[in-house]
Parts: sequence; structure tokens; C-alpha cells
Amino acid sequence: MAEPAREWSDEQLKSDDLPKKDIIKFLQDNAAHSFLNEHKLLGNIKNVAKTAKKEQLVIAYNQLFVSKRFKGTDPVEDVTEQVKAVKVEKPKEVKAEVVDEGPPKYTKAVLKKGDKTNFPKKGDTVSCWYTGSLEDGTVFDTNIPAGAKKKKQTKPLSFKVGLGKVIRGWDEALLTMSKGETARLEIEPEWAYGKKGVPDSKIPPNAKLIFEVELVSVD
Amino acid sequence: MALEQLSDVVQRCQALPDDSYSSEDHDVFTIAGRSCIEEGHAPQVLSIVLDEKNQNVVGSMGWSLLPPLVQVLLRKDDKHLPQCLAIFNHLLEACRPKELLIGLLELLEHDDADRIAESLHLLLTPLQKVLLRLGGRKASSLGMTLSSVLDQLAKLPVPDTKEQEEDDVFSLGRCCADLARFVGPFAQEARLNQSSGNQPRKSHKTAGGQEEGAEDELRTELLKFCMKTLSQPLLDVQIWHPDTLPVSPLRTFAAEILDILGAVGESLSGLVFHPLLKKKEVPGFLEEEVRYPKNSLACLAHLVFVHHLAADTFPSVFSPIFCLRSNMEHISILLSRTETSRLQKGLELYEKSLVRVEDGSLPADLLEIRTFLTVPQSLVKVMTICPKHDLRTKGLKVFQLSIDKFNTEAKYRFFQYMLRTSNHSGVEGYIIKNIKNQIDAALQPGNGNIWFEGLHLLPLLRKVFSLPDGPETDLLQYLDRVMESLNLLRYLVIRDKVTENQTGIWTELYKIEDAFLKPLRVGVNMSRAHYERELQDTREKKKKNAKEESVLSVSVGGEKLPKMTSESQIQALHSALHTFDMIESVLVRIEELVEVKDSLETAGEPQLLRT
Repeated sequence: MAEPAREWSDEQLKSDDLPKKDIIKFLQDNAAHSFLNEHKLLGNIKNVAKTAKKEQLVIAYNQLFVSKRFKGTDPVEDVTEQVKAVKVEKPKEVKAEVVDEGPPKYTKAVLKKGDKTNFPKKGDTVSCWYTGSLEDGTVFDTNIPAGAKKKKQTKPLSFKVGLGKVIRGWDEALLTMSKGETARLEIEPEWAYGKKGVPDSKIPPNAKLIFEVELVSVD
Repeated sequence: MALEQLSDVVQRCQALPDDSYSSEDHDVFTIAGRSCIEEGHAPQVLSIVLDEKNQNVVGSMGWSLLPPLVQVLLRKDDKHLPQCLAIFNHLLEACRPKELLIGLLELLEHDDADRIAESLHLLLTPLQKVLLRLGGRKASSLGMTLSSVLDQLAKLPVPDTKEQEEDDVFSLGRCCADLARFVGPFAQEARLNQSSGNQPRKSHKTAGGQEEGAEDELRTELLKFCMKTLSQPLLDVQIWHPDTLPVSPLRTFAAEILDILGAVGESLSGLVFHPLLKKKEVPGFLEEEVRYPKNSLACLAHLVFVHHLAADTFPSVFSPIFCLRSNMEHISILLSRTETSRLQKGLELYEKSLVRVEDGSLPADLLEIRTFLTVPQSLVKVMTICPKHDLRTKGLKVFQLSIDKFNTEAKYRFFQYMLRTSNHSGVEGYIIKNIKNQIDAALQPGNGNIWFEGLHLLPLLRKVFSLPDGPETDLLQYLDRVMESLNLLRYLVIRDKVTENQTGIWTELYKIEDAFLKPLRVGVNMSRAHYERELQDTREKKKKNAKEESVLSVSVGGEKLPKMTSESQIQALHSALHTFDMIESVLVRIEELVEVKDSLETAGEPQLLRT
């Protein structure tokens, strides 16, 4: 950048006709960032005008031409200017209806390993034994009957996985489990029953759910 | 006389082997035996029946004595009641089960509620005893029995209020309790069958022709029974919440039915989600329809989701949207009828399903599912023509709730659909109000979307700002719609700055002027002129006090309704004129607002091209 010209003579500078704002503006337009920083000339012109005395401004003005620390002379200057000039453009119209793929909202701890070969795909029918509880330990649901003998007359829960029939935490987790695996899932409310919870049941709003799930079979 | 005849025939038959009793012997025994009991000779009959030597005869023919015996037992104040009871109980043990069964079932059939209730109360336990004697062959007889019992039960009036249920005047509650007790041992047997390792065959039946084992048959009969009760009486009965009615025989009965379903190996979630799970045609398809009747499943869904019966056995893992999708099938069935009980259940189930879903979360592709369109149509019928005020109000509430749950695109498509198909000015007006709310929401900073501003809004607005019959549109009939359209236009003109034109209204305005505002103005003027004329005529007629010859008369119940008095006519006409004034005032206001904005625009802003 070519060196800017001296607009004002010393007399003009000291004159009351020249408002502080004009000097500040000139300095902000032409001086390097580090120069302005040192002379406390950064920020809103009005504010700087309040805090800076006329004498200081005159000194700074002269100092600028002596030191030649104009814009572009700071090594970092260019990049800083560019960064300041960056505008963030948000596309105006479409509100994202599709849920964005953030980090998974559940964790899985394997309690018993599966066969590591039979993993369900979307649309497969899976069967599970499970127990569901809240963070405070309340069991709100299970399909495991009390006595061992009774297990013969109840069946594990069967459904087609990956199709949105169950809460998202289950759909996602089961796809990572193999036949025979037992896992402990901790599901955040966003992938469980969310802000609403399940009215008239033990599941309150914003509840994190803990399931122990055994994947019995995959078809 | 009768006693002698009875003794004779019994003695004569003592010597004969059982299968050689002649039909004459049967007849004599029957007639004589019945007469004896009716004439008060029960003690003697008892000793004959208990006599060891007569066991074959009694075993073979004894069941024909049932009718008079049961008569006595029902009367309760007969002096020979104990003896009759003793005879009765002996016969239950001694005679052949199948014959006893037929005899007893015949005695259940009555026409009046009291007798039905009393007979059921008396005879269900004996029937149970007899069926248990059949052992492994009982299934089809059980089915027949249950069927007959339910036929009789269906004749009992259903309570309408909780007081009526408490009073149980027609004993429906007591009969249901008796029935549950009756079925108990059979359900228990089915439950034990399951646990003995015999897995119930899945309801995808294999090709017909395969014989069912006795256990399967029992299970099938009990399933049929449950499905039937869900349809009748449970579908028509109002179940009261425990807080409202702590002791409710009908609620208890419903819970017991759900329990029996579990005993026969049916999972409640499988049943409730049945419509969504069975999309393929499996062999024996017709049987599926019979096995899982739609009405029954709808009733079941209501019991599970609204009354939370058997909540502990229903898995809490299904996603709310999946539950809603499945329940829409049931809701559609419930709302397709006009009975209050069905509509009430349909609305409740719909509400409960919607409440679990987050606002603005239902995607537009749901509208491709048939029930998501038929249900709102049914709701419109409820809101507009159902005679019960409570149901109309609730219908509207649920309608709005359903709108709130759709996401923006879905709302847009839904509004389009309703404007096109509802054919009712009030509903259309309501939809237009909703459109206004959506536009308002879209104009909030940060909420912009392509549906209620910008690209897609204009086609929707064109549908809104239209008159079905141009200037000749009956403005009184379409009042709701017209007023809401004008309100929307006024809102847009105020809210959307000319310089921003976010909604596109300013560039569209001249078209709206031509297609809507001009014909509307013409229509208002025409209608006003017409009604003013009518008013004048009516006033003059009134002055002259002329007897008008009316062309038609209306009679209700044989009585002719009085003609509308001149006073009422004049009132009605004034009211109509007032309506036109109202429409006009909004029109004028809109014009004012547009002019102001126009003049602002010409003051300094770039001029918008207007033809």
C-alpha cells in the first residue's frame, strides 16, 4: 500500500475546528493494528474519542508518519484484516428438517460378547430380552419373567430393526450388536422419549434410559 | 299319576341295556319326570334318581329334567329347592356331558334382560363343571358355550354413566364377573400348555388342511372369545378411570380379557401393531380377518393406550411416531361410525397418540399414508355435524393438536389438502387462520422457511384468496371463509413491509385484486341490494298486514311449525345486512392500508411495477 498523505498540518491538528473523531478515523483507516493497539485507538470511534485527549491524538498522528507503521506493515496484518472481513452467510430459507448426524446419543458397554458374526441389518427381525430402568434405578419395563420356569412361556420381544419402530437409541445400538451379545445401553433422552417422556408412565420428561439388552436372534 | 308313570318307566328300563331304550321310553320319562317336578314331587324324584339301580337310565335320560329343575332353582323360594338342587347336581355328574351341555345352553336363551342375567348367574358354574368333565375334548364345546353366552350377554343394556355402572340395574357388571370366573380354569389350562414347552404356532398360519392339536384348538377358542368381547360389549362400554370409579366391574373384566390374551400366547404389542405388521397376503388370509377383527383390535388399542390396562406387560420401547402410525388405523375405524362411544374412543386414542409426539416433528411423507388423510376427514364430520356438543369441541381440539405436530412442510401440504377437500366454510376458515399463524411464525427472525414465505406461499395464497362462485358466491354461506381470508390479507398488508415483501404479497396484490377483491366487492353490493329490497318488501307487507300465502309448510311430529313472523324475518334480514357491512369494512380497511403503503413507496422507494 502506498503511504497515505498527511492531510493536516500541525496547526490544523491543534485547531479546535478539527474534531477528534476525524483524526481517530484517519488513524483507524491507515494505521497498523498493532500501532492502534499500543496507542489505545481500537474500537468504536465515539468511545475512543471519549477516552483519548486531543494532544494524544496529535502525537499519535505524527508518530504514525515517523514510524511508518501503516496498514499492511504488520506481518500478521493481512490475515487479521481478512479474518475481520469474513462474513458468515447463513442460507436464508430452508430450516433443516432432517436431524443432523451429531455424535451418537447413547453409550454401549458389552457385558457378554456375541458371536461377532451375525450382525443385524436394517429390516431384519431381531429378538431380545431386556430390562429398562431410569437413572435412579427404577425399573420401568422388562420382558424377563420372574421365575426361570416361566421363561418358557414368554417370548423375547421381536421387531424389525432400523426402521424407526423403536426409540432411536435401540435402533442404532442393536445394529452394532451381534447374536448372543448382552450389552448395557445408556440412552440420552433425545434418542429415547425426549422432552415429553411417556405420559402416565414411569418415564418422566427428559429421562435418560438404561437398558440391559440381550440379542437372542437375528432373522 | 306322573309319579307312577315315572316309577314304571324307570323300573322297566332297569333291566334293559342303555342303548336299547326306545324313544317312547325317553318320552315317557321326560314328560312324567318334568310333571313330577312341576307338581312338587321333587323329593320322590330325588330318591329315584339317587337309586343305584337306576344309574343307567338316569345317565341316559336324566338331562331332559333340566328345564323344570332350573325353573325351580331360578324361583329361589320353592319349598323343594334343596331337593331340586340335589337332583340337579347329581345329574351334572351322572349324565353325558355333551347332552347336559345342549340342555343347559338352551336354558340360557331368553329375551328379557332380567331372565338372561339370572340364568347366566345360575348356570355358568354348572356349565363349567360339565365342560371340565370333557377333558381334552372340550375345546369345541367350550367355543360353542362361549358363543352362546356372548349372544345372550349382547342383549343386556350397557350403562351410560358411572352411576348406572355402579347401580348395575341390568346386571351387565355381575354377568361379566361371572363370565370371567367361568373362563378362568380354561385360560389357566392354556397358560400351562404354553409353559410345558409347546410353543404356540405363530399366527402366520400355514396352508389350511393341517389339523389343530387339542391345545391349539383351546387357544383358538379362547382367542375368538376375547376378540368377540372386545367388540361386544367392550367397544360400546365406557371404561371409567380408577380415580372416577374405584370399583368398576367392567374395567376389571377388560383387564381380565387382556390377561387371557396373554395366557393364549398373544402379545399385546403384536395385536395392537397388527395392522402395520401384516402387510403381505399370507395363506389363509380370510382367516386372519376373522381371527383379528378390526373392531376388536381398535378397542384393544384404546384399552392399552388410553386406559393403560396391562401397562406392565406392554413394552416401553416403541417410538411414539410408530405408535401413532399404527393407531391411525384403529382411529380411522373408530371415527368411521356415528355412535358416541366409538367417536369418544377414537378421539381419545388420537389425542393420547399425538400428545406423545414432539410439536413440529411429523414429516410430510406421513401424508402419503391413507389414514392420515381419512382421519382428518372423519374429524371434520365430527366437528361439523355430530349432534353432541362435547364431541364437536373435543374434535376441534384434537384437530388443532394434530396440526401442531406436523412439521412445516407437512402443515403446508395438509392445509392444501383440507382447503381442497373439506367443503365446509367453517373448516376452511379455521385452516386459513392456521395459515396466518404459520406465516406469522415464519416471519419471526430466524424462523424463515420456504413454505410459509417465499417460494411456496403464493400458490397457497392463491387458493385462499378465491371465491367459489365469483361475484355470485353466497356470502352468508361462505362467511367464515371469506372473513378469515380478509383477515389474512389485512394481516399480510400490515405485517410485511413493502420494501421487504418477504411473503411476496406486494407483487401478488394486483392479481388478488382482480381474482378476489373486485368480485367480492361486486358480490357484497349485489347481496346488499338484494337484501335491502327484501327488507323493504317485508316491512311493507307487515304494514299492510296481508296474510301471506306461503308456498310450503313444515310439520314435525304431525304439528305444523309456525311461519316465521315478520319480526323474525326483519331481524334476519338486518343481520344479513350487518354481515355485508362487516365484510365491506375489512375490504375498505385493506384498501386504505394498501394506499398508504403505496404512497410511502412512491415517496422515495423504487416503484413496484403495477399493471
